[in-house]
Amino acid sequence: MNNTTFAEEVKALPGGESLEMCYSCGTCTSQCMVQLKQEPEYNPRRLLRLVMMEMRAEAYANPTTWLCSACDLCYPACPQQIHISGVITAVKQIASQNGIKTPLATSVVNQQTCVACGLCVEVCPYDAISLQVVKVPYRGAVSVAVVESSLCMACGLCGAACRSNSIGIPEEYSDLDVVEDIWSWLQPEGTSL
Amino acid sequence: MVDAARQPLIEVKTYTEVEKVEGFVGNFKVTLREKSKYVRADRCNGCGDCAKVCPIEIPNYFEMNLAPRKAIYIPMSQSVPLIYTVDLDACIHCYKCVEACGALQAIDFSMQDKIVEEDIGAIVVATGFSHFDPTPMEEYGYNHYPNVITAMEMERLNNSAGPTSGRLIRPSDGKVPQKLAFINCVGSRDKRFNPGCSNFCCMYSIKNAVLLKQMNRNVDISIYYIDIRTPSKGYEEFYDRARSMGIHFIQGRPAMITEDPQTHNLFIQSEDIALGRVVEHEYDMVMLNQAAIPQPDQEKMSSVLNVARSPGGWYMEYHPKLRPLDSPTDGIFFAGACQGPKDIPASVAQGSAAASRASRVLHSDSWQIEPTVAVVWSDRCVSAQGKPCGICERSCPYGAIDYQQGRAAEVITAKCHGCGGCVAECPHDAITQLHYTDAQILAQIRTLLAEEPHKKILAFRCHWCSYGGADLAGTSHFEYTSNERGLKVMCSARMDTDFIYEAYRLGAGAVLYSGCHPQDCHYITGQVVGAKRAKRLETIFERMKMTPGRFRVEWISAAEGDKYARVLNEMQATLDAMPEEELLAEIDCLRPEMEKRLGRLGTIPGVGPALDYTQGIIEAMLSTEVAVK
Repeated sequence: MNNTTFAEEVKALPGGESLEMCYSCGTCTSQCMVQLKQEPEYNPRRLLRLVMMEMRAEAYANPTTWLCSACDLCYPACPQQIHISGVITAVKQIASQNGIKTPLATSVVNQQTCVACGLCVEVCPYDAISLQVVKVPYRGAVSVAVVESSLCMACGLCGAACRSNSIGIPEEYSDLDVVEDIWSWLQPEGTSL
Repeated sequence: MVDAARQPLIEVKTYTEVEKVEGFVGNFKVTLREKSKYVRADRCNGCGDCAKVCPIEIPNYFEMNLAPRKAIYIPMSQSVPLIYTVDLDACIHCYKCVEACGALQAIDFSMQDKIVEEDIGAIVVATGFSHFDPTPMEEYGYNHYPNVITAMEMERLNNSAGPTSGRLIRPSDGKVPQKLAFINCVGSRDKRFNPGCSNFCCMYSIKNAVLLKQMNRNVDISIYYIDIRTPSKGYEEFYDRARSMGIHFIQGRPAMITEDPQTHNLFIQSEDIALGRVVEHEYDMVMLNQAAIPQPDQEKMSSVLNVARSPGGWYMEYHPKLRPLDSPTDGIFFAGACQGPKDIPASVAQGSAAASRASRVLHSDSWQIEPTVAVVWSDRCVSAQGKPCGICERSCPYGAIDYQQGRAAEVITAKCHGCGGCVAECPHDAITQLHYTDAQILAQIRTLLAEEPHKKILAFRCHWCSYGGADLAGTSHFEYTSNERGLKVMCSARMDTDFIYEAYRLGAGAVLYSGCHPQDCHYITGQVVGAKRAKRLETIFERMKMTPGRFRVEWISAAEGDKYARVLNEMQATLDAMPEEELLAEIDCLRPEMEKRLGRLGTIPGVGPALDYTQGIIEAMLSTEVAVK
């Protein structure tokens, strides 16, 4: 990767081909649910611009790189028919190859309890989980689920699918937290668990 | 139109369809269908008593269906001639109009369409353009939200002769809107519908905004755009004026329009690129500046006129830069938006220019054409012997060949443009092309391959594109193999299979078959004829087990000098990769096959003597060279 530009690197990856077709009309941004509901700084148009203008560090630090859920609401709306989530995935892939870690809280596996049934591998929409033989303390070399954090979008499907409660998104999205939330919504106002 | 109708030398035929165009420049025979109006032009005085009594009311298409009209009507107030027409699809035959017309007796339901044939010298096509219907763009809700209208509807609402006498009102409640938005590029610059720019909409939306602002200073107008394009004289100044009047320009293509179901007000959600933020504004009314698209019957007309269409569906000009208003058929010219979206100044300029081009035809006694026309040897044509054929007629992009079984095919010289497709396609070698005869080209092949043919790459190039590409490779100093030997014909359609076989029979190392890209072909569909033949040759050589790469087909435009050089270098690499003995063995092995396919070559008139003559020259040349050494 010595002589290639950032744009060329992105274009070389599947999904990134039509990067330079973007004429900055802004349709994608105004369609985007992530922008609307979660992160006002989120802006696919601007990320594409950063890539075209060789602004690598800014592109890696941009929340757009990490937050796209590939829902593809923007794809059918784009007048230039750019597969925007494909471009974003390509940028993310290059960032991960360069050792940049996702700032999101991604899925974590409890290797002590994982039985390698493979349910999470099947349900993961981003192909982020695989079964691998890993050396686990007290268990020796056993097959367990392994999460590739650069691909994980923290949707939580794996946690919902797991029968042994061994995988999921930590912190405020654990099973117990969600159950508590639901419980509190069901209570008459003013009471608590 | 009224002015034109008053000129004594102009005959305006409205409500008339062109059914058939035959003949050639200066001698067209045009068949017209004069549709019946069921009102006699010589008696109707346009008083309108008939329309007053007509009980039928249907949407008026001229008013963009915003107003009603009767079944007996005048299409628009400037119609020529200003007489009424009966719409038979809507008429219920109550004959109240006949009663109202009374003693004038202008209404005559027994009238029939008239078919007229006219002798025409030159044709100017000015069929204009049509509008994109934004209904498929569900995000804008056209036809769903009452207050989302198109620019053409707005044009009628804003017109003093229109259905509201020039008062712009909201279709939902008839109130005067105070906050308006225009959206540009609706269906244009959009690969899902029309990839091209519609040329005039930027200026058009600015014009409408300025008009509205002049009528009412308090109205709030925003224009949503991707880019504002104001390239002509005075246009940018007009844009400046619009901004100084307080019209808001918001860069950003709206993603969605939503509606408040109670008030029918509209919310536009878009990114404001200058702010870098998604914004939502409320409007009383939204106007969509929809794309300009070709007329729906443009495809039908293109086959009537025998003129090709560009990828967007517009009529294709002879040359985009040098002959922008000539059609590929002599004597047919284009004016205005039928050739591509155009604004009024450009259409007027093109119309005047097309008229002067056409008058050149009308004032000439003779017409100059390219000298490279095709000529039939009638004694060799099998059709003269009563056998069915017609291959030449099918290959001609201009319809210049008159083929009828039972007599020899004839070339209508005035229509022939000299691509040579028929010459190469004729399986009986019964057609030749002046200045590019088989004898001349075969003599060139023989000369180019006189010495060490197995080291040579014979490149067939078409005059307009790949020859230009080779030229550009040279003038740009792109290095490519010196073993290339170039040979020019007018079009890839002229590259006869015989030439390729002869080259391999003589022992050519490799052969390049090159021409224009299909959309660039200067002979409408000449490249298609050539490409089909090239495909056939590729299959034949594959079956002969020729080394892949020794025969190569490439479409190279005049701008692709780098491609020309690259292709030749790749072909040289293929030859270099083969040991010399192996190559010579392959050539020798395939020679009988080639000879078998060249059986008829000696019988083509002129070929024998030309080759003998060439042989003499080659021998003399080679011996002098030896002597000099």
